[in-house]
Amino acid sequence: MSKIKIVIVDDSPFSIAYLRSILEENAIEVVGEASTLEEVKEVVKSTKPNLVTMDMTLPGTDGLECTRAIHEIDDTIKVIVVSSMMDDEIVQEAKKNNVSAYVQKPVDAEELMTAINRVMASDELFELLENEYTAVFKEGLMDGLNRMTKTSLTYKEEYNAENEYESEGMTVIIGIIGKFSGRMLLDFSKETGNQVASALLRREPKNLDETLAALAEFANIVSGNACSILNRKNKALGLRVAPPSIMHGDSLYISAPSFKTTTAIAETNFGKMLLNVGFRRSEEKWI
Amino acid sequence: MDIRYVNPFIESFASVMPQLGFGSVTKGNLSAKERELVSSGVIVVVGIVGSIKGNVVYVINMESAKKIASQMMMGMPVNELDDMAKSALSELTNMLTANAATFFSQLDIPIDISTPTLLHGENVSVEMSSNKVLCIQLLADGIPVDINISFEK
Repeated sequence: MSKIKIVIVDDSPFSIAYLRSILEENAIEVVGEASTLEEVKEVVKSTKPNLVTMDMTLPGTDGLECTRAIHEIDDTIKVIVVSSMMDDEIVQEAKKNNVSAYVQKPVDAEELMTAINRVMASDELFELLENEYTAVFKEGLMDGLNRMTKTSLTYKEEYNAENEYESEGMTVIIGIIGKFSGRMLLDFSKETGNQVASALLRREPKNLDETLAALAEFANIVSGNACSILNRKNKALGLRVAPPSIMHGDSLYISAPSFKTTTAIAETNFGKMLLNVGFRRSEEKWI
Repeated sequence: MDIRYVNPFIESFASVMPQLGFGSVTKGNLSAKERELVSSGVIVVVGIVGSIKGNVVYVINMESAKKIASQMMMGMPVNELDDMAKSALSELTNMLTANAATFFSQLDIPIDISTPTLLHGENVSVEMSSNKVLCIQLLADGIPVDINISFEK
């Protein structure tokens, strides 16, 4: 893990000195201090920390207003509230303002370090997943098709899916669950679906049920293999797949989720296939 | 499939909908269906993995979907199923399934849920993984939500 840079926000010189000593003993670099909203904005802009420890009661402002100001500057900066006040209501408010963890004063060094490590590790793990998943799932589809139908495919296009799209006719959806949850989706025309099923079965499917079962199993294998490869890169991902669901119809629109997903269009011997995959940064688990 | 798997979804609906401003929650029909359902309107699929594995498919007809989205957005009129409305409905199914997961854990059945995938269309066939699907209709202020539950064991 790269060295963590922290800014301490507190209005008590004692608390700042105390937090600083804990952090520095644990090889964390304290790059700045602040005790007012203006100072927070200034120090965050100039020092670009990974993380900020945030007191709740501050002169002329409060921890939540400062947290919002920090996230306006850079929403990837993690904020851990360090405050003497801690009740359900205040914790709920903190959650709503995208605070990553809450540590009560008097601060226990181990508790603070656990919170920091957890918040930062989760961030790095998600980055790993974001950097890797597109290539791994594309490879998974190519490899699955190759092994199960002895044909190959070429990827034509790849883009971030931001808009709703109309299905070509059939959509297989696989929910993914683990440290981060997400989904994989395969979409193709009914003709393509039929041809892929025939190739998988090595004969004409007897009926629609058989076609759908073959396609469901294909999607299950592709997603399962891809998740295994990602889990081998870091076992903390712990990705597992839910059983496939297949939708088909003449008019079917699939919405873009609120998180980023990637779409890749593959040209296969059986026709065009759309692969869409994405993961959501899971809500931090609270202490 | 065990009929008691339906209860966490009923409990979840009864606890989540009032928090969103719905006054009354009632139970409609419970039925067992073959695995293929034909539906129109908004369809949301949520995957489940844990000590049981499967999918939950929420089906809400278009008019009901708009009414629910409007209620979730403080009564803002929803004439079209726009991005905001779709995002509200995705979040609704996420909340309903996450709360159901909490009730499952109280039955010593730990489960985790995937992100929801929202689709809409006319006469869409939905094929789920297990042979039997339990369908419970629940109503919030008279607006029906069909919850189709399919687990692999």
